[in-house]
Amino acid sequence: MTLWLMAGLLFTPLAWAVLTLLVDFRMGRAVTWLGILVQVLVSLGLWAAVASDGGFYYLLGGWQAPLGIELRVDGLAVTFVLLTALVAAACGWHASVYLDPGKSWHRYFWPLFWFLWAGLNVVWLGGDLFNLYVGLELISLAAVGLVALGGQAAALRAAIRYLMAALLGSLAYLLGVALIYGQFGTLSLADVTALLSDGTVAAGQTFPLVLMLFGLALKTALFPMHGWLPPAHGIAKSPVSALLSALVVKASFYIAARLWLDLGGHLGGYELAQLIGVLGGLAVIWGSWLAFRQTKLKQVVAYSSVAQIGYLFLLFPLTWGVTDAISLQAQQGITLQVISHALAKAAMFLAAGNLIMSVGSNRVDALAGVSRFLPFSLFSFGLAGVSLMGLPPTGGFAAKWLLLQASLASGQWWWLGVLLAGGLLSAAYVFRVYQASFIDNTDTDHFFHPPKSLEVIPLILALLSLGLGLVAEPVLSVMALPFEGSSR
Amino acid sequence: MRALSVVTMTAVCLAFAGLLGLAVWHIAGSPAPVNLPGLLAENLDASGVEHPITAVLLNFRSYDTLLEIGVLVIAGIAGISMAKTTSLEDPDLRTSDSLLYALQRWFVPLMLVLAGYLLWAGSDRPGGAFQAGAVLAASGVMMRLGGIPMDFLRPGVLLRLGLALGFTVFLLVAVASALAGEAFLAYPAGFAKPLILVIETVLTFSIAMVLLALFVSAPVNRAQEPEEGEHE
Repeated sequence: MTLWLMAGLLFTPLAWAVLTLLVDFRMGRAVTWLGILVQVLVSLGLWAAVASDGGFYYLLGGWQAPLGIELRVDGLAVTFVLLTALVAAACGWHASVYLDPGKSWHRYFWPLFWFLWAGLNVVWLGGDLFNLYVGLELISLAAVGLVALGGQAAALRAAIRYLMAALLGSLAYLLGVALIYGQFGTLSLADVTALLSDGTVAAGQTFPLVLMLFGLALKTALFPMHGWLPPAHGIAKSPVSALLSALVVKASFYIAARLWLDLGGHLGGYELAQLIGVLGGLAVIWGSWLAFRQTKLKQVVAYSSVAQIGYLFLLFPLTWGVTDAISLQAQQGITLQVISHALAKAAMFLAAGNLIMSVGSNRVDALAGVSRFLPFSLFSFGLAGVSLMGLPPTGGFAAKWLLLQASLASGQWWWLGVLLAGGLLSAAYVFRVYQASFIDNTDTDHFFHPPKSLEVIPLILALLSLGLGLVAEPVLSVMALPFEGSSR
Repeated sequence: MRALSVVTMTAVCLAFAGLLGLAVWHIAGSPAPVNLPGLLAENLDASGVEHPITAVLLNFRSYDTLLEIGVLVIAGIAGISMAKTTSLEDPDLRTSDSLLYALQRWFVPLMLVLAGYLLWAGSDRPGGAFQAGAVLAASGVMMRLGGIPMDFLRPGVLLRLGLALGFTVFLLVAVASALAGEAFLAYPAGFAKPLILVIETVLTFSIAMVLLALFVSAPVNRAQEPEEGEHE
């Protein structure tokens, strides 16, 4: 059964990428709906299988690591597979209504969308350092292609900038992988960890890890390497922006986190952990401040992503040199932050797309009066904002509460300031959008009404993000599941 | 200001080179605990090909190769999504150089033979789909510069079929192996060699197609796609 689920999970996105490449936009849309259904069912099935029986290693081609490639299917991986299925399904559905079928280049949205999904699944399940690199390449190139779709000059400029940053990040990561391979003779992350744990290889070489973390942080847009993110996420079509902010930047962070949790204890150090944490803290403050200062709606949301990504990097100081209990708490907090930000930010970008479509302008002050015409989209935007601020009972609150406890328990009280200031600043930029929309400017009354389905999708995502805080316990319990006794 | 940034960049580059050199020195001094080349040599017989690199690319780590072909297809899609016109065969871009024309009559057949040889050589010596595809694409570039009509490069269904062919066949083999009860991408016993040969052949074709499409579809879309919220 799991064999079928795995084959379905790996095969469907790749096959659908080919199928949608061969047909036009409308046909591709119909084919995609079917594919989304299959992929969501398979992801749910795999999640349920792991939730009941525990995680396992899946051997590709029947070859064991280090000769072949092993996929690591554990609780955390299937949680992200399921999250990807939810968010990508929402974005795909939104795009199928949002994108104009009359423009010939929109047909290429579907194959790129499916390749992106395939790449995300590769990264969540990857247990091999080089395979993870290939997954990153799939994601980056598909994402760049989606940003550049249509080839307009401004979009091309943003896409090329994104491509350069992504390539530099990939190359730094690849160089680190090459050094690790030279030192250990294997590419399997589990093997490297085992060699370090039983002392076969003396630790002491931090450089490869630093290189890999640098590359991944650049791809995740950690402050001060965030310059490429707002133009790319701002200029892409809203469903694309939602995919990029919700999922794509999380993929490189996920690899960085897995590397740190497995190798950081042996190859990392206190100073490195604190440095990454400080950069994350600065990202929260600086990103939120810039989000508050933007005049374009989607730039507000894009800079908000820079800030929210900053929180994720608190994982590094909060898991280094602390007890297992505190480390687990921090990991759970970060995982909840990833999930709640993915849902909230996808909702926010999709809602922002609806608002822009409705008022015909991408400026914040053009939203005057829109609260009477598009209450649902505005409501979704606000609900997502509540999760970003970290108010109870949202997933954002549960995440920040766990991080707060981990900071206090590990004696690193200085992260409290970041958590509090970040919450206040995100309230400021969300309320600024609201303030603009409630100004009753009766001069303008020609609003375009987007189809109802466009309004429903962000609302569902925002409600999921809101409800995440209430179901945090069962979600976290699946992620903490140990491997089956039979695997290594 | 400019001098300062040059000095800083130089210092960063030197520090990077120094650290890298140190890391390589450190690694070179201590042998790796896992002997992967040895393991590879032991399992080479089961792979269906005699050359270790082809065995790694098409059997032991075929999942990586499958995804890498996916990356190439993505690059091709991104390239043709920006193509300007319905016909990529723009007469303005043709050259009428008699030297080139004379040369290509000698070179093109030679390069096609070379591509075929590289493909076949991959089974027991350096070579294979990537090299053969690159040579094939190069002969395509030469033919295009020399003005030989290449109507199949229109971004129609034929081009997209060509881009996807290698990837599709590879994927079908992967899925068929999963359906037959083995793992995803596990070749059935005895079929490894013919299957690898088929995959390599179609991959050569598709890799050449991707590279050629990227070369040919260089012109950019002139139709305007306004940013969201701006009027057309």
